[in-house]
Amino acid sequence: MKRILSTSIVLPAVALFFAAHALLAQSRHPATIRAPALQVVMIQSDEIQLPAEFQVALYENLIRQLEKDGFPNVYRDGDRDATRVAGLVVLHSTVRGFKAGSERARQVTTVSGATSIKVHCQFTNQEGRSLLEQDIVAKVRFFGGNLKATYDFAKKAAHVAHENFFSPQHE
Amino acid sequence: MTLRATSVLFGAALLFGGLAAPPGNAQEVSLRVKAVHVMGLAGVKDNTKGTLNIENAQLHFVHGKANSDVSAAYVQDVVTGADSRESVGKTVGMMSMAAPYGGGRFLSLFRTKIDTLTIQYRDSNGGLHGAIFTMPAGAADRIKKDLVAQGAHTAGSGESARTAPTPNKERKQ
Repeated sequence: MKRILSTSIVLPAVALFFAAHALLAQSRHPATIRAPALQVVMIQSDEIQLPAEFQVALYENLIRQLEKDGFPNVYRDGDRDATRVAGLVVLHSTVRGFKAGSERARQVTTVSGATSIKVHCQFTNQEGRSLLEQDIVAKVRFFGGNLKATYDFAKKAAHVAHENFFSPQHE
Repeated sequence: MTLRATSVLFGAALLFGGLAAPPGNAQEVSLRVKAVHVMGLAGVKDNTKGTLNIENAQLHFVHGKANSDVSAAYVQDVVTGADSRESVGKTVGMMSMAAPYGGGRFLSLFRTKIDTLTIQYRDSNGGLHGAIFTMPAGAADRIKKDLVAQGAHTAGSGESARTAPTPNKERKQ
């Protein structure tokens, strides 16, 4: 009786594990676009006047995070070496909106005062043809200054790049 | 005797006159400001404390025993926290109603009691870098003036940025 009971619990659990694993594998689609090198263009803000320190923090954190995530060749805006790379992918980021929170409110309540920045990321080839476009919303919810939102953006954008682009050096 | 007294008085007058007169090269002494490097300067860790000054057309950031320099000629934009507030503030009236997602409000990276200095500069390959410093309130404006006076560009000046052979270098003292 005890054996039947344990089997009836273990079997569905194992089946559930394998089903979930198969579903996860399906949703985690492999990187499909070849990117021998990535060039990051300075963050733009057409609709919003973004303070310079925010623009620079987003840009520097993005480059740092892409390098950290294992992209072998990350070039900065204007780098002449990038023009010699065949198949270069260019990342354009445009700030589309922000919701100014309050660090004080975050410190006091830990649930309110979130700051969020919405950035439109467009990956193009050297000719300017769009390869991938995605909006990324970066947030600083609980603790920390607004600088943390720029880290959050960098992390998410690097994740998007990692999910969709692969370097031939990593094949 | 009278001659002696006169010469003593004349000497004293010369001495005090010399002391009281302002030194001729007082303006050439560069301003040194305690600053925190928030991020961006090549080879310098985030949140490093040091001293910032402009000398010989270079921006020097002295931290510990090391010294990081950026040539003023290759700085293509210098912005203080006050500049940011001003430029964003101009749009508040128009944008706060029209812009979605809170676009008309000013988003500050730091608290307002400190001053920020943000520079954008090119490296030897033309690659764009950005560096952010914080410093005591009021100091960023003076650093910016010194930097612009020694050849740095600002976005408002309309001058094009040049590329440099070795604009940023770090050396150990």
